[in-house]
Amino acid sequence: MSELLKNIFRFILLILLQVFVLNRILIHQIVNPYIYMVFILVLPFRIQRPLLILCGLALGLTMDAFMNTMGMHAIACVLIAYLRPFIINILAPQGGFEMVQKAPSFRTMGVAQFSVYTLILVSIHHVVYFTLEVFGFAGFFYLLLKILLSVMVSTGLILLYEMLFVSRRRG
Amino acid sequence: MRNLIIFFRNYFNFLFFLLIEIVCFTIFLRDNSFQRSAFLNSSNAVTGKLYQKYNDIQYYFQLKSTNDSLVQENARLRNRLLSDYDRPDTGSLQVTDTGLGRKFVWLPAKVVNNSVNNANNYITLHRGRNQQVFPNMGVMSPSGVAGIVRSVSGNYAVVMSLLNKQTSISARVDSGYTGSVVWSPLLDGAHGILKDIPRSARVKTGDAVVTSGFSTLFPGGIPVGYVDRITDDPSSNFHTIRIRFATNFYNLQYVYVIRNLKGDEKNKLESTEAP
Repeated sequence: MSELLKNIFRFILLILLQVFVLNRILIHQIVNPYIYMVFILVLPFRIQRPLLILCGLALGLTMDAFMNTMGMHAIACVLIAYLRPFIINILAPQGGFEMVQKAPSFRTMGVAQFSVYTLILVSIHHVVYFTLEVFGFAGFFYLLLKILLSVMVSTGLILLYEMLFVSRRRG
Repeated sequence: MRNLIIFFRNYFNFLFFLLIEIVCFTIFLRDNSFQRSAFLNSSNAVTGKLYQKYNDIQYYFQLKSTNDSLVQENARLRNRLLSDYDRPDTGSLQVTDTGLGRKFVWLPAKVVNNSVNNANNYITLHRGRNQQVFPNMGVMSPSGVAGIVRSVSGNYAVVMSLLNKQTSISARVDSGYTGSVVWSPLLDGAHGILKDIPRSARVKTGDAVVTSGFSTLFPGGIPVGYVDRITDDPSSNFHTIRIRFATNFYNLQYVYVIRNLKGDEKNKLESTEAP
């Protein structure tokens, strides 16, 4: 399967997974996990940055259309799409990751690096999204707790997703 | 000029990012006005259709509770039938009442999507402009108030449910005082806050909170919820009342959209008097 087709398929799968599975599971009012940004996290290393930002925009707006959150997901997704190359650069070993036709995953980055990479981008996404969501709302500790718990659950789910669907496949 | 081109080339990524973020923020901030287009939300054709397809399946798992709530409503309405009451036995008192003008029309609608655990929750209905549903109409579940229509497309409508920071419903307690029911993300999907009821009003746990009928959205007397807990702040002149919603938002399947035939007239008159 070509890289493009694989990513389009992943885009649709993640949106459906988020909208019809995760958004329906009521863990608690304070824990809202989001994992659809995996799409941005695992785009190939070599992707041009404007294209990466546009991918973030498309993903965010699609999510907004489903959740009636006019622009909130888009703002968060575009931001993490823009910051992704910086995070990868910081985490890269001397000489960079094996860049040819590869995408971030446990195998290409290493388990520790990939987990940290996921944690950082998920945290940024959640901080921006939840701050916008409770815009003009005074409960600061509530917001902090919501971000903290949601980041933990989201990151856990994303790493699980990686382990289940991606790292098994060889080649 | 050359420097400018070099500047743009060097910072192209950042400027591009900035441009896209500004576009997103424009969409986000425009959302805060009440009326908006039905393009980027769950009333558009693709998302509405998907939610409807999903609901076709998921609906079966709630048939029992949906059926129960509809039976209860039927029972309540049957108790109001004229045939339940004794009428005068002569025909001489009969009045053919033609003076009553109709004010509210109730349109049944199927819920195809509903969220409860976001900071702003919305309900998507499979009814839209083609079925005479328009923004700013009240929405009621079989057991009580559910929300306000926010935007519509041809066949779908998005409703701000009571579980939304922007929703505020004018409501009255048993003792006659009027306040407003709001919700904050600190609460769960079963509870709301009734505010602006003065301390002098006598309120007790279990009292019904019903719509006041002051707004054009709902007829008076429709249940909003029941007083659940009263925690008063001594420095405030108003009660802080937590209410339990009459509507169960966790298994909402059918609602009624309330069309007020005389609402425009009232709003127009009020807007000329109080600009």
